[in-house]
Amino acid sequence: MFVTLLREWVSTPATHYRLFHNFTRQDFFAQFTASIGGFLWLFMTPIVNIIIYSFVFGYIFQIRAVEGFGETQFVIFMMIGYLPWFAFAEAVSKSTGLLVEKAPLITKVMFPVQVLPVVGTVIPYLTHGIGFGVLLLYLATQGLLSAAWLLLPIVLFFQFLFTMGLVAVLSALCVFLRDIQQMVALGVTVWFFLTPIIYPITMIQDEATRQWFLLNPMHSFVTLYREIVLLGEISPINLQIIIPVSLFSYFFGGWLFMRIRHAFGDVL
Amino acid sequence: MPRITVNNLHKDFRIYDRPQDRLWEILLRKSRHKIYHVLSDISFAVPDGKSLGIIGVNGAGKSTLLKLLVGTLQPTSGDIEIQGQVAALLELGAGFHPEFTGRRNIYLNASLLGVPDENIAELENDIIEFSELDYFIDRPVKTYSSGMFVRLAFSIATMVRPDILVIDEALSVGDMAFQRKCVERMNQFRAEQKTMVFCSHSMFHIQELCDTAIWIDKGKIREIGDSDKVVGHYEDFCNSKKSYNSIREDIPEELEEQKKDSSDDSEPAVQDCRINSLSVKDSDGNLIDELEPLTSVTMEMEVEVLKDGIEGNFGFAFMKSSEEPHASFLTTEIDSVEKGPFHKGDIFTVSLTVHHFAMRVGEYYVLGGLADKSGLLWYETKFSKQLSIKPNKGVGPIIMDSDWSVTRKQV
Repeated sequence: MFVTLLREWVSTPATHYRLFHNFTRQDFFAQFTASIGGFLWLFMTPIVNIIIYSFVFGYIFQIRAVEGFGETQFVIFMMIGYLPWFAFAEAVSKSTGLLVEKAPLITKVMFPVQVLPVVGTVIPYLTHGIGFGVLLLYLATQGLLSAAWLLLPIVLFFQFLFTMGLVAVLSALCVFLRDIQQMVALGVTVWFFLTPIIYPITMIQDEATRQWFLLNPMHSFVTLYREIVLLGEISPINLQIIIPVSLFSYFFGGWLFMRIRHAFGDVL
Repeated sequence: MPRITVNNLHKDFRIYDRPQDRLWEILLRKSRHKIYHVLSDISFAVPDGKSLGIIGVNGAGKSTLLKLLVGTLQPTSGDIEIQGQVAALLELGAGFHPEFTGRRNIYLNASLLGVPDENIAELENDIIEFSELDYFIDRPVKTYSSGMFVRLAFSIATMVRPDILVIDEALSVGDMAFQRKCVERMNQFRAEQKTMVFCSHSMFHIQELCDTAIWIDKGKIREIGDSDKVVGHYEDFCNSKKSYNSIREDIPEELEEQKKDSSDDSEPAVQDCRINSLSVKDSDGNLIDELEPLTSVTMEMEVEVLKDGIEGNFGFAFMKSSEEPHASFLTTEIDSVEKGPFHKGDIFTVSLTVHHFAMRVGEYYVLGGLADKSGLLWYETKFSKQLSIKPNKGVGPIIMDSDWSVTRKQV
């Protein structure tokens, strides 16, 4: 039972490829099809946020070069962490509406519901992966390219799995408890400030406090991106954290989702 | 071989007073819900190539049964076996994205029904043609009228050629021409030995399209069998209920309370009257089912009163379908006809002769019945067999009794 559910969960994008493909295409284009600004709007939020944070932290608080990352500008330092975070945050924020908004479909049409959390995770990564790609391209021309960059897709992939598990759990639970919608919106904000994205972790003086950050997997992801891109070397502790955590999130989330998906029709 | 087998199907809904009760129940493992039996003890089988109609009043559990068949709901107990691919039209255009064009929506919708992309491309033109959307197919779906919406949804669901087609109330939205097309398509389905499950409030469509029918009442099968028979009984039931409701307005409130209580016992309401027979005859008194226009036709019925004190009017009508009268005759304004109060056991033979029958083409049903004092609500009605009009020369729906006169001016 356990194994069957997991196998079904993992193989969903392959076995239901057509549906997955059509859903992804529809939801991707649906993001901007009705507005004139279209595709540009997708990038407005991260760009405006980056400008705000650079202004506040780079200009007002005068954070210049970041300790441990050489001569890197603060803006670059922040963007490397912020863009992958933004994809994650977007997926998690939208996860709560994934099933609820598709209620008519779920109650009226028999289809593999588990494609919804998969699609819901793919789309923000697809969209904001573009922004991150552009940034990396720019940094590569600045002479930062190194062999360590080969690790980037792997770390990104684990972050993707981590997100997908979380999205599956949240989307499914939100069917039963709508309050999760508000809780997640707040939670994402709190999580953002608890992750050293707009500030370097080295600003925290107390070594013991810094250890607590290791409990936050997003801290490990963000740190890994910065180490890979800026330094070309990584601290293994972060890799040791993200691999089991991501796999656990992906499999547990998938299992839970598959386990309770039959009850969706009754509640929605 | 049965395509659909349903055995001892039960479905309960858990009713929670407050949404948080659901959470407490999970956490504390203490029951906090009431059980509502939506369906109980449903068993039937649909053989390959047959079609099944599901009828019943609102809230009887028809839609729940369809959802269980399609698989979006899980039965509480009992089992459902389905052989083959199912396409369902439970909600029109569920899954349509309003911002996208009809053409775009065809793809997602068809892949939801399990069609591979290559086949969709092949079917695309057929779907567009059948839906009659023409250039609207490239307009966003949000600009569609509800009729267009349905047409597209119906076209997709039937074009993907499922083994089993499940339809809920789909036909009621489109215009007459499209309804006819749908019926044709569904008949074609039957001819291809596909299986259909069809739920509708249009008794006409149920009779037309279904071999067997199930009448669901308060979650239980009240009757299952030949669709003509079941529909007949169901219509009787609805008609008697209607008159009961209209009379209730005159009853003092305490009595109404009692009535409400007794109605819960699922005993059929007392009928006010019964139409024992209804016949259609020509001027020589022969029973007919075909009619020459402009001749006389006599309709005759026997009405038996089953309750004391009923007042009412006799009436006949020529009906195009169960809901569409083309001509009606009531005794409301005819002072020479008795209007009651009648006594229990009174039997009336009512006959009406129409001279120079003026409709030129078509098929009609004669409806005979007893209506209330105002002539607005039927106590009881009965339909005749189909009466068709013999082919004749001319155009237009009406033929009139007329005399010609042509004279040449004398020079």
